[in-house]
Amino acid sequence: MFSWGEWIRHALALDPAVYRAVLWDPQGLTLALAVVALAGLSEALAQSLVLFINQVRPRRFVLALWVSAITHVVGFFFWTGTIWLIARYGFGRTLPYLVLARAIGLAYAPQLLGFFVLTPYLGSLFALAIAVWSLLATVVAVSASLGMSLWEAAACSGLGWLGVQVWRRTLGRPVGRLERWLQQRTAGIEFRWTLRDVAEGVLVQRIRERLHRARSPGEPDAFRDEREAGHG
Amino acid sequence: MVEPVENLLVLLGIALIGLVVWAALAPFEALGWWAGWFGEPLGEPDEGEPSAQPTPRAEVALFAIYLSGISRASDETLSRREQRFLALLREAMPRAEIIDDVFPYSVNNLPLTGQRFFAAIWRWALRRKLSPNRLERLAGYLINIRNIWQIAISVDRRYGPIYNQAVAQVMYRALRSRGFDPREPVPVVLIGYSGAAQIAVGAATYLKPLVEGPLVIVSLGGIFGSDPGLLAMDRMVHLYGTRDRLHWLGWLLFPGRWPFLWYSAWNRALRAGKVVFRCLGPMAHAGPGGYLAYHRTLPDGTPFVMRTVQTIADLFPEARALSPGPEAGSSSPTGRASVVQSG
Repeated sequence: MFSWGEWIRHALALDPAVYRAVLWDPQGLTLALAVVALAGLSEALAQSLVLFINQVRPRRFVLALWVSAITHVVGFFFWTGTIWLIARYGFGRTLPYLVLARAIGLAYAPQLLGFFVLTPYLGSLFALAIAVWSLLATVVAVSASLGMSLWEAAACSGLGWLGVQVWRRTLGRPVGRLERWLQQRTAGIEFRWTLRDVAEGVLVQRIRERLHRARSPGEPDAFRDEREAGHG
Repeated sequence: MVEPVENLLVLLGIALIGLVVWAALAPFEALGWWAGWFGEPLGEPDEGEPSAQPTPRAEVALFAIYLSGISRASDETLSRREQRFLALLREAMPRAEIIDDVFPYSVNNLPLTGQRFFAAIWRWALRRKLSPNRLERLAGYLINIRNIWQIAISVDRRYGPIYNQAVAQVMYRALRSRGFDPREPVPVVLIGYSGAAQIAVGAATYLKPLVEGPLVIVSLGGIFGSDPGLLAMDRMVHLYGTRDRLHWLGWLLFPGRWPFLWYSAWNRALRAGKVVFRCLGPMAHAGPGGYLAYHRTLPDGTPFVMRTVQTIADLFPEARALSPGPEAGSSSPTGRASVVQSG
């Protein structure tokens, strides 16, 4: 009988035995859901830059994090469903859906560290490490729970990932829009900036243009706080 | 024997994890400020506030802002070496308005000791930093570590736009409060010591649209990344000593500085001829053998700090006295100006 800390430690160590054990553990589903929700919270925090740059109020910020965590859980059920379908119809392996969900959920353990993506300068390195780690954990979880070889598990997970991408870009588009609408609704404001604006330098360009316009001798305060401009 | 080693490794591991957690939390200061959660907005430049001894407006040939290295905790905690360096620089460049009260490691010029939640910790660390006990001084390095995270924030493409534009605002307000007129093409010089060179480069992107004259960065043993600010500024002079191993960190840590990444901001700035290198001699990064050292001299008897001051002053002849008199800092062959002897 593992403590929750031990479950997570073994899951992080990619121990196949723990992914097999969780399938039939009475606490398995609760543990999996807790890991997924907390991983979602951690990921949401890592992505919270968009909330900050759009100047979301603290209470709304916390609410937005929880909504992100919940959508993460919804995404998890979808992801598990995709793998379940591919395993069943592509590889002839089957397990009850909610049993498989326990192993897949535990494989979210590396994403608990998603928070570290916030680390300045080293964030993208952490993001890459956590993504690879999560992928490996999923492959091990699929392999251990469905009795597949690692290659089969990798193919099954890869096809599942592909399925999710196709869904997102086709029939899932309205769901994506709903998700964004929900995010903005929770945040309580319309987002002026996106993460893409930051990555592609649009934010920088806008601030520079604003500053240049503001350079007027009689009007030094036109070079006012950009953060105030954000509310504007 | 094994157990103590194991314990030590565990402690080191905990310390390392603690550092990474601290680093991950560090951006919240700038982000929270931007979102308006805490900290005062920058407000208007307080033109009524008197500066120490403002240079008469007509005589100012350039404005220079000195940005300290990572050991600084507020806009008032200049070390004795820095104070002497600035006094010498003012003497060598009488027509320059030199500003030294910008704290580069805070988005709104708020000193660490004036922070709402952690002021007590920083005051404690600052006291330890000044302690004669070497072990106690280690605690003072918390300030250095905290400021290193701010440099990482400045260089990070996600947080950089927020942090750097805020610091640029602080700089602009400091300039305005000293009589800087954005209509006039007066040069603005940012002197960034060590990691503060990154802060200078980061802010350049946002400061440049506000100044009519050239924006020059003097990097004193500077450690900086391949920031887009290198393309926004007009010129950088990188001063380094042959015994300074730390200024190489910029090359080591930031891939954009590596030569084969030919399209990086750094390599483009190099190709455009914007960056000039000047060797100051056998100087180290900091301390008694560093750029600001007075008691260590070059073979010709010039104190290290005087060579640093002379080199900077020579870059800006317009800031020297119109008719150099005997009191001009660099006129003495040994470079020993009166302010040094009295200090």
